[in-house]
Amino acid sequence: MIDHTELSAHSGEKKITQLCNEARTFGFFAVCINPVWVRTASEKLQGSEVVVCSVVGFPLGASTSQAKAFEARQAVAAGAREIDMVINVGALREKKEDLAGSDIRAVVEASHPALVKVILETCYLTDEEIVSGCELAVAAGAKFVKTSTGFGAFGAFPDHVCLMRRTVGPDIGVKASGGIRNFKDAWRMIQAGASRLGVSASVAIVEGLSLLQFAPFAWLEDEIPCHICPSRYASLDKQPKAVYAYYKKKCLTCRHLDMYNRFYE
Amino acid sequence: MSGWLGKIAKVDLSSGQQEIVPIPADWQRRYLGGRGLGVKLYTTLCSPATDPLAADNALIFMTGPLNGTVMTSGRYQVISRSPLTLTICDSSSGGSFGAVLKQAGLDGLIIQGRAKSPVFLAIHEGKIEIRDAGHLWGLNTQQTQRAVIGETDRKASVACIGPAGENQVLFASILNDKDRAAGRGGMGAVMGSKNLKALAVYGNREVPVANPEAMKNLTARLDRIVDKNPVTGKSLPVLGTSVLVNVMNAHGMFPVHNFRRGVFNDAEGISGEKIAESLLQRQSACYKCPIACGRSTKTNNKQGEGPEYESVWALGANLGISDLAAITEANYACNELGLDTITMGGTLGCAMELAAEGVFPGDFHWGDAGSLSSWIEDTAWQRGIGAELAQGSRRLAEKYGRPEAAMQVKGLEIPAYDPRGAQGMALAFATSNRGGCHMRAYLIGPEILGHPVFLDRFSTAGKAEIVALFQDISALVDSLTLCRFLQLAVGISTFTEMLNGVTGLDFSDEELLRVGRRIYTLERSFNVQAGFNRRDDSLPPRFLQEKLPEGPSRNRVVQLDEMLDRYYAIRGWDGNGVPLPQTIETLGL
Repeated sequence: MIDHTELSAHSGEKKITQLCNEARTFGFFAVCINPVWVRTASEKLQGSEVVVCSVVGFPLGASTSQAKAFEARQAVAAGAREIDMVINVGALREKKEDLAGSDIRAVVEASHPALVKVILETCYLTDEEIVSGCELAVAAGAKFVKTSTGFGAFGAFPDHVCLMRRTVGPDIGVKASGGIRNFKDAWRMIQAGASRLGVSASVAIVEGLSLLQFAPFAWLEDEIPCHICPSRYASLDKQPKAVYAYYKKKCLTCRHLDMYNRFYE
Repeated sequence: MSGWLGKIAKVDLSSGQQEIVPIPADWQRRYLGGRGLGVKLYTTLCSPATDPLAADNALIFMTGPLNGTVMTSGRYQVISRSPLTLTICDSSSGGSFGAVLKQAGLDGLIIQGRAKSPVFLAIHEGKIEIRDAGHLWGLNTQQTQRAVIGETDRKASVACIGPAGENQVLFASILNDKDRAAGRGGMGAVMGSKNLKALAVYGNREVPVANPEAMKNLTARLDRIVDKNPVTGKSLPVLGTSVLVNVMNAHGMFPVHNFRRGVFNDAEGISGEKIAESLLQRQSACYKCPIACGRSTKTNNKQGEGPEYESVWALGANLGISDLAAITEANYACNELGLDTITMGGTLGCAMELAAEGVFPGDFHWGDAGSLSSWIEDTAWQRGIGAELAQGSRRLAEKYGRPEAAMQVKGLEIPAYDPRGAQGMALAFATSNRGGCHMRAYLIGPEILGHPVFLDRFSTAGKAEIVALFQDISALVDSLTLCRFLQLAVGISTFTEMLNGVTGLDFSDEELLRVGRRIYTLERSFNVQAGFNRRDDSLPPRFLQEKLPEGPSRNRVVQLDEMLDRYYAIRGWDGNGVPLPQTIETLGL
């Protein structure tokens, strides 16, 4: 269920080793790392069931398809069994489906037999574009769609996960990633339809889970919808103008606005 | 057995007699150590009618099974009946005293009686020596520690009182390892009432660990967990606990002028950030602690430790004082004289409010930084108006006919979180077994810091459950005698793993939580027998009736009653807050 993740630029072998140890200890599904560490992690995880997952075209998705394919091929050769590639976000937003689709297909083919997850980077997309990205990914042979890199304007939100699940159906995986810091965040994503979680705070989630078993209903009380709505986190500094305006407009027409507008005091 | 040494000593200072107290076989499993075992021992030795400052009252220094083994295990607990609140009380302190007490050969020490003249105890190789302390009487805590180390061992860890404890100021603290304090509830006054100036512990005894290899792996994992946690890995090491100044101010619950407001305009000037850039000399850490939240600081005139968040608030914003150097030196003074900074600040805030209303004769004004140190000095020595301040805010406000001006619960001053901004924290204050204390259940975690998850701070839903759970976990951690900051990074399972790794036993999470609940209920039962009930599980009327005038918590009051009924039901207590017979029976009390 959990891809134990370490993608920061400053991570060295020591952190990757610790990551692998934790993944073994807690039985996480995979470690999700930068390509440069794939061989190291594969060696550390030899004999365990933990899978190595490498990112490709990360975090912008703006490399050429050939470069992404090469990166994926190398990662698979080094031991990666899953590839998380970033979609060509610009092409998707400009509705150049052929370009975005062929980009995914190139990575899917290069990654065989590893499975491919397509990171949509939902923070830069409208709902319509998210749907389009999901359809392209499935058509190109990806086995998962994934919300975010964790380096964008914001991470995963239940609304987006729900939309992605509705679009891809039950047979394709949905990975929620970015900003999942505790068991409640994780629980929300699972409720919304996520079948995999990309988390760097995996251990904290497990630590927190030992509290969840006591007073579970109190921890999971319904909360103010604005707190988990992407519109609240829309930022003109970090998002394309049109996407920012799209989210803010959603906010103004939200059915919760009357009840919860105290948070805009 | 690994973890515990199996040796708790008892000293009668009146007769000089010493004995090893036999502990029933199942008590370690049922009460662990620290707070839990201390409270259990106390309730068997003393009754709810015991005068806290009488010779027959017991003062118990306790460690837990993990002391000297895992990270943050240098702590110890002091247990007695509080002279300030008359509740059962335990006070916790960091440093290394707890670990060294075990290295000196004891799990704990029970002190009863009253020495004819001042004494200190030297503890080494499991033996206790009663030594004359006549020449130490009147010295401040720093001088005392240096002198006692000089007379015992250069590696000794010393816990002592200052003039405030000697003069039985009701909120006198016990200081150890320079400036670590068992601050709350007046344990220093109890120590002073026994003519006991200090305890020096030293030794090299290894604490036995059942599974060293498992503990090594766990420690490596814990290091990373603590390091990755934003609070324990970044905020606390870099900015100390005063990182909370700006956080709480931004939530409109940083109390100003004795809790009349929740936003302090000068917060930035007394924040952790400001301390780091103007006063900080270096970080300091307790025994085996990777967090290092302590601040060694220096002003133009003095140097010392702190101020911590609670102190910078109590001696600063609460009094309308924004002079960081004056606050810091007032904090040094409290440490040297042996005073609880929270109650000192709370009492001064109450005095200032009474003076502003013209009902208090003292010359007290909001923002008067220049008089701060002299008020503190007078309080410690019970001089002039200081003798009235030395009684704490409740007695002061009652004396001047304005009991509602004391911001306290059960006589203990409420610390630096306006409960109107966090309903769960409000319930935790109201139901705390030792009075207005944030450490019984730190709901600021979920309500403000988002640990382990964010809960809506203005909602009462689910808060009774979480408060009860946190109180039980806190009782558990205090009984393991670990630092509560660990709670911000790890869950119950890790505490269970630590305990099992050190002791070789097979505790489950459920059993440990039941231990916490047992301890909390035992404390409650003692308080009930001492006359406490629902009436005392309340807050000053200010929080229930007066809305905060400004900021992000504006227009809020505490909705206590609706949470309290639910809380009692969860606890298995009746409507008056008395544990039901079946609750007592289920917990095996």
